[in-house]
Amino acid sequence: MKPAPFEYIRAETVLQAQEWLAADPEARVIAGGQTLMPMLAMRLVRPTRVIDIAGIAGLDEIAVTADHVTLGAMVRQVAVERSAALAQALPLLSKAIRFVGHPPTRRRGTIGGSVANADPAAEIALVAMTLGAEVLTTADAFAARDFFLAPMTTALPAGAMVTGLRFPRVAAARRGTGFAEVAMRQGDYAMAAAACELVLGAGGEVPSLRLGIGGATPVPVLLDLAAPTRDAVAAALAPLEMMHDPNAGAGYRRRAALALAMQALDEAQREVMA
Amino acid sequence: MTVQLQPPFRYVGKKRRVREDRRFVAGGGHYAADLVLAGMLHCAPVQSEHPAARIVAIDASAALALPGVHAVLTGAQLAAASEPLMNGANTPLVVRYPLAVGQVRYAGEWVAMVVAETRALAEDARELVQVEYEQLPFVTDGEAAMVEGAPLVHPPHGSNVLLDRHFFWGPVEERFAAAPRKLAYRVRWARSSTVPLETFAVTAQWDASQDVLDVWASIQMPKFPDQIARSLRLPGNAVRVHYDVDVGGSYGVKRGIKHAVLVGHLARALGRPVRLVEDRLENMTGGDMQGPERVFDVELAYDDDGRVHAMKMRALDNVGAYAGRSPFQLGKPIGAIVGPYAIEAVEYHALAVASNKTPQEAVRGFGQAPTNYALETGIDKVAAALGLDRLEVRRRNFIRAEQFPYLIPSGTTYDSGNYHGLLEKTVAVADLFAERDALRAQGLLAGVGIASCLEPSGGNSSFEPLLNPMNRTTTWMESCRIHVDALGGITAAMHTTTSGQAHETLVSVAVAEVMEIPPERIRVIRPDSLASLPSNSPVGSRMAIMLGGAAVRAAQKLRAQLLAIAAHDLGVSPLELRYSEGDVHAADGRKLTWQELVVIAHREYFRLPPGVEPGLSASSIYMVPTGGELPKDDKVQMYPCHSFEFHYILVAMDRVLCRPQIRRYIIGHDCGQVISPDVVKGMTLGGIAHGIGAALLEEFSIDAQTGQPTAASFMDYLLPSAHEVPPVEIVHQTTRSPLTVFGQKGSGESGYLGSPAAIAGAINDALAPHGVRVDQLPMRPALLSDLLEGTHA
Repeated sequence: MKPAPFEYIRAETVLQAQEWLAADPEARVIAGGQTLMPMLAMRLVRPTRVIDIAGIAGLDEIAVTADHVTLGAMVRQVAVERSAALAQALPLLSKAIRFVGHPPTRRRGTIGGSVANADPAAEIALVAMTLGAEVLTTADAFAARDFFLAPMTTALPAGAMVTGLRFPRVAAARRGTGFAEVAMRQGDYAMAAAACELVLGAGGEVPSLRLGIGGATPVPVLLDLAAPTRDAVAAALAPLEMMHDPNAGAGYRRRAALALAMQALDEAQREVMA
Repeated sequence: MTVQLQPPFRYVGKKRRVREDRRFVAGGGHYAADLVLAGMLHCAPVQSEHPAARIVAIDASAALALPGVHAVLTGAQLAAASEPLMNGANTPLVVRYPLAVGQVRYAGEWVAMVVAETRALAEDARELVQVEYEQLPFVTDGEAAMVEGAPLVHPPHGSNVLLDRHFFWGPVEERFAAAPRKLAYRVRWARSSTVPLETFAVTAQWDASQDVLDVWASIQMPKFPDQIARSLRLPGNAVRVHYDVDVGGSYGVKRGIKHAVLVGHLARALGRPVRLVEDRLENMTGGDMQGPERVFDVELAYDDDGRVHAMKMRALDNVGAYAGRSPFQLGKPIGAIVGPYAIEAVEYHALAVASNKTPQEAVRGFGQAPTNYALETGIDKVAAALGLDRLEVRRRNFIRAEQFPYLIPSGTTYDSGNYHGLLEKTVAVADLFAERDALRAQGLLAGVGIASCLEPSGGNSSFEPLLNPMNRTTTWMESCRIHVDALGGITAAMHTTTSGQAHETLVSVAVAEVMEIPPERIRVIRPDSLASLPSNSPVGSRMAIMLGGAAVRAAQKLRAQLLAIAAHDLGVSPLELRYSEGDVHAADGRKLTWQELVVIAHREYFRLPPGVEPGLSASSIYMVPTGGELPKDDKVQMYPCHSFEFHYILVAMDRVLCRPQIRRYIIGHDCGQVISPDVVKGMTLGGIAHGIGAALLEEFSIDAQTGQPTAASFMDYLLPSAHEVPPVEIVHQTTRSPLTVFGQKGSGESGYLGSPAAIAGAINDALAPHGVRVDQLPMRPALLSDLLEGTHA
C-alpha cells in the first residue's frame, strides 16, 4: 500500500490551485485526505500531482449572515461539530455531523472533500440536498440537486474545484430537526439515512417540511411529500431507484429508508413541540 | 502425575499488574517491523488475479530493469531450491510452495516476489512483472467442490476431498432407533478469522561466516524453526529464530511458514537482509490467514423430557486451495464433541474439501467455536420442539458435578466441572427473560441467548495421529529454564514467541509461587531458538497449563537444589529443613539465607555436596498431562483440561432495520484456578468481541461468478469496534483441574467459543414470535429484515 509516484504541491490561494488544476487534467485536489489517501495507497487513483488546499487562507471559515450560512471547503468536520453558531443556525448539519465517520476521521475530514467525493452514503451531501444548499466552486455555484449526479460523480467541471457550501437561512419561530441512519457498524457508510427539518413560521402559516433520503439511493434525494404521513413518505420513495450491495439489497434499503424517514420526522416533530 | 500445589497461594490468583502492560501501553513493544538492519531489502508479492490458471510465462525483465530492483523470484525458481511446505493431512500429492508453481489456485495467490531497495519501489516494480495466464475452471463453494466433475484444485490428488473420516462412537443407530423424537438441521459458519492489527512480518539475514539464517518473525507457530530448516534444506541448527520479537496479535493465524521460507531463501540468495511486511490487501487475500468455513448437518435423537441421547454430525469444511494444518481443525473438536452434555453416542463425519479460495489457517479454538455453534443450535431446537425452557433443557442434559472425571464417547475424559453450579450462579444475576419481555412491549424485537460450552485446553497433538495415521506425534511438550546469577537474581526463560497472552506474567507468578519470592524480582526472557529447549508455542489454550507447569517444575527442582546445598552445609537431612522465601531454616534455629546459598553455589565449591555441579539452574520439559498415547479404536484423549463458559445475553433490534444491539452480556466462566485475574478477564472480553464479529459482521466473502474476494480490506471486512462491543458482566466459578500444578485450566479462547452461538440464539429468540429463524452466520441486518418481510430469496 504505497502510492504510485506523484508530485505533491501546496496551494497558497484558490487561484493558484485553480491554475494548477486547469493546467493538468491528471491532477487531484487533496483536502482532509480521508478518502483520497486510502485510494492513493491502494493505487486506485494515480494522479500526476496532488494539490493540497489545506494552506489556503480563508477556506476554513464558517460565516453566518442573515440570509446564509457559508462553510469553506476546508472546514473540518470537527469544526462543524464544535461550532455553537452552527448549532444555532444550522442544527440539522450539527446533528448529522456526528454520524460522519469517527472522531479521528472528523478531525481530518472536510466539508468540501465530502461534497466533492459525492459518496451516496455521505451525511453532509444529504443535509445539503435536504436544506437546498448550493455547492460553491471555482466555476459556478450549483444547487445541490444539480450537483450530485451519480455515486462518486458530480457536475463539477473539469479543472474546477469545490470551494464551499452555502445554506439558505430560513426564518423560523420554531424549528425541529431529525437525523437517523443505519449502518453495519456505528460510523460506517449508511445503508440508508434520513434527514428532516420542520420549520414553523412566526405567522402560524403552514409548516415547512423538508425530508431527505441518503445512503439508499445513488444520490441523496429531497422527497416530494404530499403530507407528513407514512403513506406519503412511502409514496415518495416508491419511484426511487434503490442501491444494492452484498450487505443490503434494494428491498431492505427501501424499507429502512421509510423507517428512518419516519424516525427523523418524528424526532423533528418532537423538537418542534418541545 | 503432577503433584498439585494447594491454596492458599501467595501470588497465584491475586490481582497484580500485568507486567507486559507497561511495555505495550507506553509504546515499548519491539515488533518484527521495528527491526532495521543495514542493507535491508524489501519485498512485494505479485498476486494472481485469477482463481485458477496455468502460469504460461513470467517476464520480469521490465521490473528488473528498474534501478534499485534486486530480484524477482518466481515459484519455479524457489521450488528448485527448497522442499515443499508440510501438509497436515495425508495428502502427498497436494504440493505447496510459498509461491505458485506452474498453476495458481486462488485469486490473490503469490506468484512471484519482487525485492527492491524500498517497499514503494518493489510495488512500482511488481506492476511491471508480466504474467501470462491460461485460465482454468474453478470452484469456490465447498459442497460444489465435492460434486463429481467439479474442477480439481490439485488434479494429481484425484479429488477435492482432502480428508474424509467417519467416526462411530457408541451405539448411535440403537439410540436413534429407540428415541421417540428426532430432529435434523443445517447450520453454516462463514469464513472469518482473528485478523490481528499487525499483519505478518518477517526479516531474515544470512550470516555467511557462520552459515546461520537469522529470522525475526511475527509468529505463533509450533516447530517453526524446524519447518524453515527442512524446507530450505538446512540443518536444524542453521536456523536461528529470535523469539524476543513481540507479536502484534495472532490467536492462531500467525503461522508464516511460507513467508519465512521465502524471505529466508531470498536473504541467503542475495546476501542481504530481506524484510517482508504484508500490507492489509496482501494479508487478507494471499496471507493464508482465513479461518474455518463450515456447513454442519446435524441429527439429534432425544426424548420427551428433552434429553439428547445421540447425535450424528457431518462437518464439511471448505479449507481452500492447500491442505496445511487446516484439516486438523475438524479433529480438535472431537475432544469436546458432546459439549457439556451427557450425549451417549455420536457419529461424526469430518470432511475437509479443497476449493479455489485462500487456504485456511488455524483460528482461536481450532475449530471448536463453529462446532459449539452447531451443537448449541440443536439444544435450542430441542427446547423449541418440546416447548421447554432452554435453560431447563440444558440443566437436564448437563453432565453432573459428581460424574467427573467423565468419559465422553469419543475417548476424552473431562477432568472436572460443575456446569449446573455456574448456570445457576449466572442466571441469578438478572432475569433477562423479563427484560426481554419489557423490550418487546416497547415494540422492539428482543431475544435471550444462551450458550454453554467447553474450552478444551492444554493443547496436545492427539488430533494429528487420529486424523492422519502416518503422523505419530503424541508429544507436545513445553519448557522453562531458570537460572540464578551470582548476585542472586532469578531469570526464567520461555522458549517461544508471545503474542499478547502475558506469558511473562504467567512465568513470573508461577516461579514466584514456588520460590516464595515476589514476581517483580523474576526476569523472564525469550532466547533465540538455538538457545532454547523444546516448545510447541502458545496454541490450543495451553500455556497456563503447559508453560505454567514447566515453570513450576523447574522452580521445584531449583528449590530442591537449594535444600540439598543447605542440608550438606548444615550437616542435616533435607527433610529436617524448611524453605521460606528463599532462605532455608533448620529445626535448631540455624539458617542459610538466599544470598549465602547463592554464594556457596557460585563461589564456594568446597561447601557444595560432593559431585554437585556449581551454579544454580534448573529446567523442565513438561509433557502434556494425559498426553502421549496413540489413538485406539478411533478414540483418543484430546486435551487434558476442560474450562466451561455459560453465556446469557439479551439482544434487541428494530423490526425493520434489524441491527442487533447487545443490551446485556453476562458470562459465567470457570477456568479452574485463575493465575492472573486481569489476563483471564482480558482474554474473555477479547474473545467475546471476536465472537460478535463472527456472529454479526465478519466474512471473507467471495464473488462466486468471478472467484474474486470481495472483502479484502477493512472497508469490507468489518471488525466490531468499541461501539459494537457491550460491557460484559463476568461471573466466576472455580472448579479446579486435578491434572495441573495449580488446578488451572486454559482461558486463551474463552468468550469466543460460545458468543457466536449465544448471539445467534438471542436473534432467533427475537425472531421466533414472527415465525422465522436463521441458521447461518454472519447474521446481517438485511438478511434478518428480509426474512421477517418474507422476501429473503
